[in-house]
Amino acid sequence: MTGVQTIVRRNRPGTKATEWSNWPDEVFDEMDSTLAVQQLIQQAIRHDFGNIDEILTPPDGQDEGVWKYEHLRQFCMELNGLAVKLQNECNPDSCPQMTATEQWIFLCAAHKTPKECPAIDYTRHTLDGAACLLNSNKYFPSRVSIKESSVAKLGSVCRRVYRIFSHAYFHHRELFDEYENETALCRRFTIFVTNYNLMSKDNLIVPILEEQQDAGESEA
Amino acid sequence: MAWCPSHVGVMGNERADLLAKEALSFTTCTIRIPSSDFKPITHEFFKEKWQEQWSSEQENKLYSIQPTLGKWAKSSREIRREEIVLARARIGHSHLTHGYLVRREMPPVCIPCQKKRDLSPSEEWGVDQQLISKLKEQYKRERQKGGKKGAQRPKRSTLQAMLANLGGEEEMNEANQEEQMDNNNIPDIDADDEQVSKDVMVLPGGPDDDALEAALGLGELAGLTINNEADPLSYEISATKEAFRKTWNAKYTLRSHFDGVRAAAFHPVEPVLLTASEDHTLKLWNLQKTVPAKKTASLDVEPVYTFRGHQGPVLSLVVSPTGETCYSGGMDASIRCWNIPSSNIDPYDSYDPSVICDTLVAHTDAVWDLAMHSAKMHLLSCSADGTVRLWNPGTKSPLLNTFRTEDSGVPTSVDFVRCEPNQMVVSYSSSNAYVFDIETAQQVTKLDGHLSEETGANSQINRLISHPTLPVTITAHEDRHIRFFDNNSGKMIHSMVAHLEAVTSLAIDPNGLYLLSGSHDCSIRLWNLDSKTCVQEITSHRKKFEESIHDVAFHPSKPFIASAGADALAKVFV
Repeated sequence: MTGVQTIVRRNRPGTKATEWSNWPDEVFDEMDSTLAVQQLIQQAIRHDFGNIDEILTPPDGQDEGVWKYEHLRQFCMELNGLAVKLQNECNPDSCPQMTATEQWIFLCAAHKTPKECPAIDYTRHTLDGAACLLNSNKYFPSRVSIKESSVAKLGSVCRRVYRIFSHAYFHHRELFDEYENETALCRRFTIFVTNYNLMSKDNLIVPILEEQQDAGESEA
Repeated sequence: MAWCPSHVGVMGNERADLLAKEALSFTTCTIRIPSSDFKPITHEFFKEKWQEQWSSEQENKLYSIQPTLGKWAKSSREIRREEIVLARARIGHSHLTHGYLVRREMPPVCIPCQKKRDLSPSEEWGVDQQLISKLKEQYKRERQKGGKKGAQRPKRSTLQAMLANLGGEEEMNEANQEEQMDNNNIPDIDADDEQVSKDVMVLPGGPDDDALEAALGLGELAGLTINNEADPLSYEISATKEAFRKTWNAKYTLRSHFDGVRAAAFHPVEPVLLTASEDHTLKLWNLQKTVPAKKTASLDVEPVYTFRGHQGPVLSLVVSPTGETCYSGGMDASIRCWNIPSSNIDPYDSYDPSVICDTLVAHTDAVWDLAMHSAKMHLLSCSADGTVRLWNPGTKSPLLNTFRTEDSGVPTSVDFVRCEPNQMVVSYSSSNAYVFDIETAQQVTKLDGHLSEETGANSQINRLISHPTLPVTITAHEDRHIRFFDNNSGKMIHSMVAHLEAVTSLAIDPNGLYLLSGSHDCSIRLWNLDSKTCVQEITSHRKKFEESIHDVAFHPSKPFIASAGADALAKVFV
């Protein structure tokens, strides 16, 4: 073949961590994969994880169910990072219950009868349960079109995984801040669930958007 | 879209491919002529050539049936199945005559009348139907009884000679034959027939085979070959066929990862798979714990355990020969050692921090491949930091040695040389590979594919694997090839275009008879290591960007194979 170097978007063995997925953006319309939405979301995050507008703005004509579903998959995946950090300091002795503020104790829904799991187990069980549900052949057999009844399940997943943010924020603040600096994940999640009405405002107890505003004002 | 594997490695096809590429460099004509004007000319030209060859060929058994090439006069070309049957009837191609027509064996003998039959149509189709069915019955009975006189099948000694010869000169003949078949282009001989011939040749059914098989140590894989259910010829021998043939079928779908699955490895004895994913986790799957799926033949499996510890994508994975521990290499430059929980653990049990037993730190960049020595329990790792390291996990100072090479780029894959315990083999991004002496850390041989001479194409080795018993290294390349090297001479023994896209992964069955490859063309392919022919192709995963299949695996002791995909799924075939 002559001349033109075509871009092959692959992370080949030997790729350095800094070069991972470091290829020119692909236009959404040119993505012919069934995983195009995931590709687009990850591409935007890699671009600038802080640019939440860009990450959360769907392309024209995008099916909203799929858009919400793929974002939630991405959130759960990135939450593994927070869980890894929590594993190092959150244990049944330090946090015997899943709490955020004093107001509630959250029961773990992964069991037949909801159980008062220690925070670290709650975190792991919730993420494992979310992985099972979001990959379930029964509810989500396709990543291209999703039934309305299945889209309705996303709300409860959001509510449960959000508690991981809130527990980290109120009980492992240093760790939370470190993670939030690296990923802006809680901020993105909060805006996401607000935009798509996936959670009630009362449940969004981490004051992440207010903080952002405050910071913005003080800088100005 | 399905792709027919029989064209890979067929010399005629490869040549056409090469010529087409060469033609791209010709000077172009500036006068514009529509291609449709050229087509009839080339068509006519090739038909002439073909006819010339067809007419001049000696021992062309089919010449008398169809002296002038072209479509059959009365062909309807509508229902393929019927056309195949008709064509077979015309050319006298049946199960009995296959060896004669395709492999140039002696014509079969009709037992009752003791006449040789060349089965040209005039002769064959005059026979009355009652006699044929009677013969069929008799044939079947004799097969079942195991009577040796019944069928014209090769004797045991011939078979053994054949097996011994495979891979040597025999291979060339076979290739030529294949090419000729292709050139002759006999209308409507179905690809099925080629497969039947392989079945018969490699794995003849019959009473002697148990012994033969045992002698060769084939084990459960002996029956492994392709099987086309639609083949109308196979019903006659279905009773014996069941016992000896194996087609791999997708049985388990492993869904739970959120992103590409980079590596998969089986437990040494249990029906248990481990997977490592870009979603930062590893998962443990018990294939006996399935979720009843509706209607579909394949079963869903939910993971019994999720390993969290890496900060970033997990790229490589190896399970210890005892099945107690596994090791994973990540983008985060760490290698983590895990105690594998019981495969009957409750997935929602409480967290046991002792699952993470050790972290091997020394690499400074992504760890792309791992290999475990089955006896010494030593671990090899290769990293984007340019080094290969040797570890003795579980000891106070686990890092035993560090290997560096100059000017070869970054190591991409590593393995112990299985038949030479003191050697390892490493591939580099430059597409070079070297055999090292582990103790002296010196290069012993360079595996030379002369790839640098090829123009610009990225021929990086994505994966290499050491043959379990022979001093042979097999390499999977970005340029769609699989290559075979002799570790002692460093010479390339064989090179084949194996896939339509980059080949990413390799696995060899425990007996060293079959090679499994995975590629970004979405397929996994199974190869007979003797004949280096593809015996089965399965489309397995979907693409994410331009990646599809990252890893393939053979179960060390059970008839399972697995593939891991960029589509976040892993699949297990039985």
